[in-house]
Amino acid sequence: MKQCIACGMPMEKPADYALGDTSKDYCVHCARPDGSMQSYEEKAASMAAFIVRTQGFDKAAALETARKTMARLPAWRGRG
Amino acid sequence: MAAEAGVAHGTVFLHFPTQEELLVSAIEAFGLRVAERLHELASKGSGLQSVLEAHVRGLAEHEAFYARLVEESPALPDGARAALVMIQSTLSHHFEQAAEADRAAGRIRDLPLHLVFNTWVALLHHYLVNRELFAPGGSVLERRGTELIDFFISLIGVGAEGRGERE
Repeated sequence: MKQCIACGMPMEKPADYALGDTSKDYCVHCARPDGSMQSYEEKAASMAAFIVRTQGFDKAAALETARKTMARLPAWRGRG
Repeated sequence: MAAEAGVAHGTVFLHFPTQEELLVSAIEAFGLRVAERLHELASKGSGLQSVLEAHVRGLAEHEAFYARLVEESPALPDGARAALVMIQSTLSHHFEQAAEADRAAGRIRDLPLHLVFNTWVALLHHYLVNRELFAPGGSVLERRGTELIDFFISLIGVGAEGRGERE
């Protein structure tokens, strides 16, 4: 099973991939409407918003967690 | 660990230069296994009950490791704690989708998502951390998991009376 290079989500079925394209290395949640991959800042903001919405973290703590996580993913390794 | 892996002592340091790197890598590897199992099990059913069943079943396969992680999380280095949050994010992703579907279908009440999620996690973690009291010598998730899921669903569900009012 492939893993999204930008958020780490396992990608199993075509619907998990950006634009349903299984040749892409990133998932539907990390794609812009035109299918291109979100930038580092866009991804950090969307990941933090997701953590706040579903787990209720403080905004700054969620952003810090998102950056720490992203720093270990292939698309953003070493950043953060 | 080197003995267990059948490699020379120094080889461990080639792959994991620091203790934190080893710890974070172990938690990430565990998180990936949990994520894949949750994806696989949750896709077989629909609704929040199925997600919770998949969560409990997936964690039961690694109960001792996960319980230890929960117990020690406040003392873990930042990177390891972030990895643990990502494990919870995998769950909250499936949890959100299922809860939205259940809410739209009138099966659960309209409650703040993060509080519903945290209530489930707090309940589960309480039983895990105190597993020797709830299931001495055995798996607390296998012994009490169904009871916890049924109770939680009844807590947030729309009862027969509520459905009558809606209709």
